[in-house]
Amino acid sequence: MIDRQLTTGRTLRRALAAAALAIAAFAAPAQAQYGTPQDTADLVRADLIAEPASIVPGQPFQVGIRLRMKEHWHTYWRNPGDSGSPTEVRWQLPEGFTVSELSWPAPQVLRVGPVTSFGYEGEAILLAQVTPPPNLAPGSNVSLRADIDYLVCEKECIPGEASLALPLAVGASSGGDTGTFDAARAKLPQPSLWPASFSASADTIGVTVRGAAFDAAALKSASFLPYNNDLIVNSTEQKRSSDGNGLTVAMARSQMATQIPDRVDGVLLVEEDIGGKTVTHAFELSAQSAAAAGGSSITLLQAALFALLAGVILNLMPCVFPVLSIKILHLTQHANESAGRVRMHGAAYTAGILVSFVILAGALFALRAGGDEIGWGFQLQSPAVVAALAFVLFAFGLSLSGLLPIGTSLTRVGNSGLLQRGGLQGSFFAGTLATVVATPCTAPFMGASIGFALTQPFQLGVTVFLALGLGLALPFLILAFVPALQRFLPRPGAWMETLKQFLAFPLYATVAWLIWVLSFQVGPSGLLAALVGLVLIAFGAFALTLAQDRSGTPSRAWRGVAAVSGLAVIALIVSVNMDRPATASAAQAAADSGGEAFTQAKLDTLLASEQPVFVNMTAAWCITCLVNERTTLAAPAVQTAFKDKNIVYLKGDWTNRNPEITRLLERFGRSGVPLYVLYRGKNEPVVLPQILTEQLVLDSLAQL
Amino acid sequence: MNRRHFGAAFIATFCAAALLTGTAQAEPKIGAPAPAFKAVDSNGKQVSLDDLRGKTVVLEWTNDGCPYVRKHYNAGNMQALQKKWTAQDVVWLSVISSPPGEQGFADAARANTLTTERNAAPTAVLLDPKQEIARAYGATVTPHMYIIKPDGVLAYAGAIDDKPTARAADIEPAKNYVDVALTEVKAGKPVTTPATRAYGCVVKYSS
Repeated sequence: MIDRQLTTGRTLRRALAAAALAIAAFAAPAQAQYGTPQDTADLVRADLIAEPASIVPGQPFQVGIRLRMKEHWHTYWRNPGDSGSPTEVRWQLPEGFTVSELSWPAPQVLRVGPVTSFGYEGEAILLAQVTPPPNLAPGSNVSLRADIDYLVCEKECIPGEASLALPLAVGASSGGDTGTFDAARAKLPQPSLWPASFSASADTIGVTVRGAAFDAAALKSASFLPYNNDLIVNSTEQKRSSDGNGLTVAMARSQMATQIPDRVDGVLLVEEDIGGKTVTHAFELSAQSAAAAGGSSITLLQAALFALLAGVILNLMPCVFPVLSIKILHLTQHANESAGRVRMHGAAYTAGILVSFVILAGALFALRAGGDEIGWGFQLQSPAVVAALAFVLFAFGLSLSGLLPIGTSLTRVGNSGLLQRGGLQGSFFAGTLATVVATPCTAPFMGASIGFALTQPFQLGVTVFLALGLGLALPFLILAFVPALQRFLPRPGAWMETLKQFLAFPLYATVAWLIWVLSFQVGPSGLLAALVGLVLIAFGAFALTLAQDRSGTPSRAWRGVAAVSGLAVIALIVSVNMDRPATASAAQAAADSGGEAFTQAKLDTLLASEQPVFVNMTAAWCITCLVNERTTLAAPAVQTAFKDKNIVYLKGDWTNRNPEITRLLERFGRSGVPLYVLYRGKNEPVVLPQILTEQLVLDSLAQL
Repeated sequence: MNRRHFGAAFIATFCAAALLTGTAQAEPKIGAPAPAFKAVDSNGKQVSLDDLRGKTVVLEWTNDGCPYVRKHYNAGNMQALQKKWTAQDVVWLSVISSPPGEQGFADAARANTLTTERNAAPTAVLLDPKQEIARAYGATVTPHMYIIKPDGVLAYAGAIDDKPTARAADIEPAKNYVDVALTEVKAGKPVTTPATRAYGCVVKYSS
């Protein structure tokens, strides 16, 4: 690792004098004014380090400002508390380089009498991500520099400064000092998985973390350190209380906090007794004002009702519509069946949907509990799942076209024998299929309700998913249970076969769209694997048809061919997953649409200068997002308004997994895309609805 | 927000408020009577806040070794402020809370030497080596500034200005909170910015 220390530790004349005085004070308090100067470089050894041994053009890497303090001395956190001053870093980077905000390790709480400060004893590494330009010449050398100002204190405080340089070679990526950086990253506060809120009275500020599963017996302490230095009385002991809902930390409100912001950011330090040892965890929280959140958030009942409505609307989506249509066609043939039997079909279909939704919710909660930052539609972030969905829908489409002789109980019209035997299973399977094909779609109202559900414990959250499933099942269920309605259905006839074959086309369209989604996720060979998969499915269908038409040996042979095709398709699904391109195409996609690619660092920088910003969180697999972009955001009037108002348009692509985007979604109580946020400089950001209209966007822009 | 959660948060906040009121306030209340104190000044005179009723009183925590204090003394900023306001009948008390052996400690003689050397103009220098006044006022740093109105009510607590650095160059462009607050107190107006975050070196508490 290249780690040349160029710490000059140049100290201000004043500081030297101060240090001299400090020593003098120890020796002979009343007399000496000058003595041996103590250089701050002896108190703080500072250097600039990089994670990789050499850097790759265009590829971000981590750097660290490492501060090693003399025993008992400390430097300060971003909020120094009652005394002190945060370490300041001014970057001097070669042209084309950009650097993120600093990431500060969780601080120690330093108490002296009634003075409480936040800082670091021993060693602290402040991390930042540096992005070099893509046009660096391999083999060349670059030099990064950071000028730092710090205050180092024991009992005395001495300001110091240093100019840190780090020469780096441009070359192929190779191993570096991952150990040091892994250790430094482990000391950063983790992003909190739980939503936090705060409430303020005249004397107190209480931060509540909902759903945080701390074992009350093991919990030794919990304290909240806000980033804002004017909010709380640092020295007053914080009181914690926990109930079934989570953990609340109450702090004394500072008299400086004359205005209470809508959001309080900071770090929650939690000490837990684990096996007799005290373990400290730090979580980064962004607590929304409970009062402000009152308007936008919803209750469990509301979430469930919204989900029910969203489920009903899902039926009209191009992916689900054919499944529903086919099921309704079935009903027309059940006319001669008993009403009870028809009801059982409705129940089986509903059960298929509900079971699938419980499995889906279970997977979502389990993965999130495991620390994955995912949300609704997460499964489409996996190319294997997208390919598998495309294959299933293609096979289903072939079957509607009459080219694939399986799943007949589901699709074949007019075969009462099959329906009698396999009918209920078929209805159950149709429910499962409806759920599977519904997952790429997002209906209005879904974002808020699923976002809410994921913040709840599983037992509560799953009810929202069940409501969504029930909504999806509802149209068919009502038809099945109210025989009077069935009389409105058209009489069976030859037109049904035509309609069925026609309904294959929305499915083919969905397949085409899924392959397009895939093109954002995998490289050319992955895409080829998926397309070959489609060919193989068609070939398998051809073989199966032959096998059914003939009898004897050839039939068995064709059956074998079909089975081999099926296995090959599964192998292809696996191979699709292998071809992941190294760089995301997100930046490219964003640039294509005239926006800039979203990163939290970019957003933070823009917001720091009170620049109005429009953030669009989207994904290639999110149809609602694409419709909004094409019809509304790309509209000339909207684009002109962006330009006139000098609004920066940031586009975040969630097609592939991106924890930074997930965190921003969660900050606004969402678990999936689309999300549209308009940051209005000094004013609070506003969230736009998930279905945009030109007028709506223009109206909100006009308020700027 | 979920109504149930709101309820929980409300109750939690309420309980917290009840708990917190039981503990001593680390910072004195702006708008409430300032904590009373009695101390001996560097000339051996007893000074009591009660005796100063009817006058505007400034408390200035100081430590001559602290770079932040030196910022204001080396540039003459603190002395100018002392002269400007003592001339207008304000009682200016510099408080030294460092215990013996710590940076900034001064006995009576050294305190007077410092005043002479620095050409300072406080009404008196209070010796607080056991940090009794510092604790009563929750003084955290040097310089930490307090203004008490003639009726004994605390009007301002916090920093001297809005540039929390040790650089003398930052004095000129800074907004001097103390000067502004004293002007407002003298005019009988409420103080616009009555509480700020003081900056500087930690007061050398013995424990």
